[in-house]
Amino acid sequence: MGKHVITMLPGEGTGPEICEAVRRIIDHTGVEIVWEYEEIGLDCLDKYGTLLPEKTIKSIAKNKLAIKGPTTTPIGTGHKSANVTLRKMFDLYANVRPAKLIPVLKRPWDKIDILTFRENTEDSYAAIEHMVSDEVAQCLKVITWPGSYRIADFAFKWAKANGRKKIQCVHKANIMKMTDGLFLEAFREAAKKYPEIEYGDIIVDNCSMQLVRNPGQFDCLVLPNLYGDILSDLCAGLVGGLGFAPGANIGDNCAIFEAVHGSAPKYAGMKKVNPSAVLLSGVMMLRWIGENAAADKIENGMNKVLAEGKTLTYDAGGTASTDEYADAIIKAMN
Amino acid sequence: MLTKATTGRAKRPAKPITLVGVDVYIITENGIPAFDDYGAFKIEFVSNRGTKVWPGYVSEDLMLVNWYRCRFMATKAVTDADVDSFLTQLSKKWKWSAAQKLWNYGDEAGFSKAY
Repeated sequence: MGKHVITMLPGEGTGPEICEAVRRIIDHTGVEIVWEYEEIGLDCLDKYGTLLPEKTIKSIAKNKLAIKGPTTTPIGTGHKSANVTLRKMFDLYANVRPAKLIPVLKRPWDKIDILTFRENTEDSYAAIEHMVSDEVAQCLKVITWPGSYRIADFAFKWAKANGRKKIQCVHKANIMKMTDGLFLEAFREAAKKYPEIEYGDIIVDNCSMQLVRNPGQFDCLVLPNLYGDILSDLCAGLVGGLGFAPGANIGDNCAIFEAVHGSAPKYAGMKKVNPSAVLLSGVMMLRWIGENAAADKIENGMNKVLAEGKTLTYDAGGTASTDEYADAIIKAMN
Repeated sequence: MLTKATTGRAKRPAKPITLVGVDVYIITENGIPAFDDYGAFKIEFVSNRGTKVWPGYVSEDLMLVNWYRCRFMATKAVTDADVDSFLTQLSKKWKWSAAQKLWNYGDEAGFSKAY
């Protein structure tokens, strides 16, 4: 394969130290990558007056591929989230998050291997909010048929390409008959193209209960934005928390791979945070660009380190630093 | 003890309300709408499903549906009658599904920005 040019967004807080560890591991696979480092997040506010500088936008638009460390999202008032802005600006409509059991983390279940496909651009995240009187706030939940169809179609394509068997559409169409009803209708239409994949639907509250009672029954879930945001974190919690939860935001012309967790500013510079979530996002990115052998190499190396249990970060019960953990993975890859 | 007498309806502290603009949801098959000069109201941005598509950088994929939120801000002090007259003018050229008045509450905008 030729050389890949990838925009690297280290982010803020612990992001830079995590991303440096991840870059070292990915480079060790021998895949030829030119990393274009760009800035994003709260640190950019003082320098550029924006969370997302123009230079960063141009780099992503040019390379159509990026990996991103964590950033901080201001709560309540203030600036828009850099994450959501990126997803919207590049129309990264598919948020893909695998939740798979990590061997070293003891969990009460034998099997969890769930893929969530969250619609990433619509729903109540369309950011259309108004104070319609001095005492009433209103948020528009925007669900479109094309937007719903394309996330469902994406999920079926992904499932087919990766040997997955079943997809369920998660919704609340019994109550929100127009919006969630449209999402479900588009899902069923998309399903017709993939007779080899079993499909069904489940109401979001029942799905939440079933996930915590018997997560092994689920394979792939397709969800509107808000339910997807919540249940994908629930799935991450089932398998061991956000430290091991990778994510991909994919559109028709661009893809950004990122950890799901926050920037943990109180640990910044201490080099103790687990880089696995960004690393596994990097593994997803390598598979996306067809570098499967390199992805396997990293995944096997990481699993070996986790199985040995000697070099683990604090969240996994160890005392290793970010760099020591990365070095152990690099050694295990040899 | 909680009793009927102590559970009256609470009121949010009132703030002065000022009309400052109007969001109009326009349906068109011809891409990002471009507007004439409407005097008291000036177009600030156009969004598709909440994502700004004008002005600024636009991914080619963003115009997914034929429904655009168009934010018009007042260029001077305006009244409800100005909004009525503006919408009458707008209706001559554009099909629209809804309009939402934009108010400031004290110094705070009572409406979100587009992404």
